[in-house]
Amino acid sequence: MTKTVLVFERGTGTALRSGSYTKAACRAVQNALWHNSINIAELFGAQKSDMMIDVEIACQDPNAIDVDDIAVEFPYGQITVSAVQGGLDIAHPDMPERKTIIAHAAIKVSLDLIAQEA
Amino acid sequence: MQRFILEIGSGADLYGRDYTKAALRALDDALRHSSITLFHALNIDHTAMKVRVTIGVQEPDLIDQSAILAAIPRGEPELIVLFGGHNVDTRGDGEKTVVATCAVEALLPNQAAHFKSVSHQNE
Repeated sequence: MTKTVLVFERGTGTALRSGSYTKAACRAVQNALWHNSINIAELFGAQKSDMMIDVEIACQDPNAIDVDDIAVEFPYGQITVSAVQGGLDIAHPDMPERKTIIAHAAIKVSLDLIAQEA
Repeated sequence: MQRFILEIGSGADLYGRDYTKAALRALDDALRHSSITLFHALNIDHTAMKVRVTIGVQEPDLIDQSAILAAIPRGEPELIVLFGGHNVDTRGDGEKTVVATCAVEALLPNQAAHFKSVSHQNE
């Protein structure tokens, strides 16, 4: 198995009022996915479902991320989700219990490729 | 002073590991998705505005704060640099893409004393 990272896409997403890190992370994934159109599987004669997709979410509370909700954002592929500390939380000026959440998504798309004789 | 807008942006340096470059791009991204037309419409001077910029990167000590402050185009600037953003090893070889998070808060004194809002509900 030679897992080869072919494409990296990134996105940023926010939650303005809900306080939901998962919502911000889902929006970050959507921002990443809908910023480009890639046909990487077709380039190698592979199926879209062959793509191995590793998603890393960065937000200020990585434990709050629901990985199943993130995986569901992807139309195809084998999805692995992880979360690390990053992004930013910005306090609401008048309501200390409310914050704006900013999350990042880093998406690496891989295929298992073996070099062939042309 | 009352916050009237929070603008959000992100920026990256793909392989140069330059946090300041990423942060400047994040600031530019934040500023370029909206325009505050009330200054022109109501003849309020930009100098009345306070601008608080928060930058998040994975190594905040490496940010050149004077470069960020110089890039804030108008208003009285304040800069906060925190642990945030995201670093990604995109190629599996230890090289890093650095991503900066930027939040820009703009504040003005409450304007109700200068401008009255006429309600048009239920007309």
